[in-house]
Amino acid sequence: MIRGRVIGEVWATRKAPGLTGRRMLLVGVDGQDRAMVAIDTLDAREGEAVMVSVGSGARNVLAPGPDNRALLCDAAISLIVDGEG
Amino acid sequence: MILGRVVGEVWATKKHAALDGRKLLVIEPYLWYAPSHEVAHLVAVDAVGAGIGEDVVVCMGDPARRSLGTTSMPIEAAVCAIVDRIELADDRGARALTFVGGDEPEHDSI
Repeated sequence: MIRGRVIGEVWATRKAPGLTGRRMLLVGVDGQDRAMVAIDTLDAREGEAVMVSVGSGARNVLAPGPDNRALLCDAAISLIVDGEG
Repeated sequence: MILGRVVGEVWATKKHAALDGRKLLVIEPYLWYAPSHEVAHLVAVDAVGAGIGEDVVVCMGDPARRSLGTTSMPIEAAVCAIVDRIELADDRGARALTFVGGDEPEHDSI
């Protein structure tokens, strides 16, 4: 997983099947000047620190199980950071 | 996923059988996290009916390769959404966002 912060949102009407109704957030990657687009299932808000699952595993955040291969998703927010020690 | 703009289309007669009937789009990335190679453009298969001039979200890697058919396709990028609107926070902390090629997508501030 990759740590980052929600810095924006992308709105799209036309999306691939399986992404309908899902929010897409822009997540700035900690320690980098780049950002990624990640699917949000946790209702993350702008400014919140999050962890993003990337690659094949991201599909399991949206729909766990072996039947999720049709999902076009390579990044999904899998937790919102409350605090860390 | 990454953000980019469709700037062209590729036609080919001779191609891998898995690409038959697929539209291939040339994408100029705005935001590309961890690019595997530093290139100005990438070619993505179209899953949503995007056209030239539209801003899109592009899915990379294994999900792109497997998701569009029963066979694995010889691709590593697929357009998965057509962007209507982008909201970007003015307050991004210390983070200076680098847009590939220096061009920013049109966006609203939040």
